[in-house]
Amino acid sequence: MAIEKHDKENSGGGRPVAEKGEHIVARHLIEDDNIKEEKNLVIDGVDVSGRWNTFIISRVDSDFDRSFFEEIKKTVVGSRINRCWQCGMCTASCTVTPLYRRFNPRAFIYMMQLGNLRELKKYIDVAWRCVGCYKCSQRCPKQVNPAEMMEALALVMKKYFSEEVKTKLKLDEEVKTIYEDMIIGHGRLDLAKLHTSAMQKSGRTKEMLGKIERGAIFEMVKDGRAFSVLRLGKPHNWSSSKEAIENYLHKLKTIENSEAGV
Amino acid sequence: MDKLKENQAAYYPGCALLTIDRAYNNSSKLVSKKMGIELVEIPDYNCCGIGEMKSKGAASMYLPLRNMMIAKNRLGSKNLVMACSVCYHEFSRSINRVKENQNELTAVNEIFKEAGEFKEEYIPDGEARHILEFLYNEKGVEEVKKNVVKPLKGLKVAPYYGCLYSRPSMYTFTDKKPKMDNSERPRFMHEFLEALGAETVFYGNEVQCCGGRNVVQDEETSFTLCSQTISKAKKAGADVIALICPKCAGALDVNQPKIVEKFGKDSELPIVYLTQLMALAFGFSKKEAEFSDMISEPLKVLNEKGF
Ligand code: SF4
Ligand code: SF4
Repeated sequence: MAIEKHDKENSGGGRPVAEKGEHIVARHLIEDDNIKEEKNLVIDGVDVSGRWNTFIISRVDSDFDRSFFEEIKKTVVGSRINRCWQCGMCTASCTVTPLYRRFNPRAFIYMMQLGNLRELKKYIDVAWRCVGCYKCSQRCPKQVNPAEMMEALALVMKKYFSEEVKTKLKLDEEVKTIYEDMIIGHGRLDLAKLHTSAMQKSGRTKEMLGKIERGAIFEMVKDGRAFSVLRLGKPHNWSSSKEAIENYLHKLKTIENSEAGV
Repeated sequence: MDKLKENQAAYYPGCALLTIDRAYNNSSKLVSKKMGIELVEIPDYNCCGIGEMKSKGAASMYLPLRNMMIAKNRLGSKNLVMACSVCYHEFSRSINRVKENQNELTAVNEIFKEAGEFKEEYIPDGEARHILEFLYNEKGVEEVKKNVVKPLKGLKVAPYYGCLYSRPSMYTFTDKKPKMDNSERPRFMHEFLEALGAETVFYGNEVQCCGGRNVVQDEETSFTLCSQTISKAKKAGADVIALICPKCAGALDVNQPKIVEKFGKDSELPIVYLTQLMALAFGFSKKEAEFSDMISEPLKVLNEKGF
């Protein structure tokens, strides 16, 4: 489809200039580049200017990959992807979508179904914001369990865009590692340590010396809670569980890598 | 360790309740005992995975299920009671997933076998129970009323259920099994609070999310959600917000000073655990209910109201 800007006389009648695509319903779902808006627009040789001067270029997925579908289905968190019929209930109930309009579980699942990595990549900056509230899973008529599909999304991101993840998802990843090391390594969480390590990782050590942070820490030291973690220790015999879990995770990784041809 | 007696229940404390959230732990034990059930901690418990391990397949399920094995082996109890909604979610999720999927059960049992701690295989025949649902169904509202010696007359409470106590019903079986709470409009906490003599307020955010999972890595989201909930409860006239999850406490209580700094005084309201209010109404002192542990200082309003 050929789209040209038709340069008739420029009326310039002092009418207020609208934002690009402003009057499109669900504008946030359409990328800037996909909106053509000209004062005088000619499409395929036909002058369509006037009321019809906005044109949304349809998204054509030519490079999708259905094997992707199988790959995600194999993960425990993404195993129900084949059930999704794209009704949009998950996005309509999502806690995070009203805060960040580009966070769209239905759309993420669609892109994953198609294996459209090119599109998915554009959302690395918001994809990690899911709060795991399971509203979507509660309301999904097909029991896709989109909340866990968002975990599958994180797996995809880590596997295919590891470079971008390192920069854009840096903190999320680092905090996850702290959690994982504690959970597997010690069998229990030391919440105080978790907090301080995370603050350090994000370069916010100064904040911990601030009045608010110090107040809470002082309270907990005073009443003994801050030290209660010390007497908790590890579960007895944890080392055998730890080893078994690590072996399992190692096997999981080897299978994943061989499938991805790494 | 001895097998449980009839008026005892196996209890999973989880990491938060034995440390930062001891007020919730201790008050849960106090009120359960008063209502006729002693909570007996399982020995040697391990972390439930706190939602951070979900993408790790069978490893995420092994974590809670190891505790189910301990309850069965050491205390002779198929079921396990817990007060943290995140733990409850991890347990219910794991039990239901291995029940539904033989491959996942096999994978979990392979980890069990390799760890070699238990002789038998894991069989998904027990249940995880949230303390609110447990007390409601095992003892009931009448038992609460019977134990009230100091009614909370004049105290307006905003009950906050959060997410994982009632969602998703594919794991919790809310709406699906008889005797379970409702997923969209849970009522058990309302009924308990009213039985204590308190007044519950309607504020619209009862099952909203606090963004607790993102508290460390995404404050922006969590603080915004918390501020919405607190200010709505405040506007509805609540004196306190009552919780049933330590993760919600991390977001709404511990972080409240920071939330107030960002969003102003509209986001300032004392936070308590449901079981602390129950303990108070059952005649325990404010000290025994450990109200002073809360960062948002509920003692001020409780004193003002003459409790
Ligand atoms: S609610 Fe379920 S079926 Fe509908 S779009 Fe979302 S995941 Fe798909
Ligand atoms: S679990 Fe995540 S995707 Fe689902 S409603 Fe909550 S924030 Fe949205």
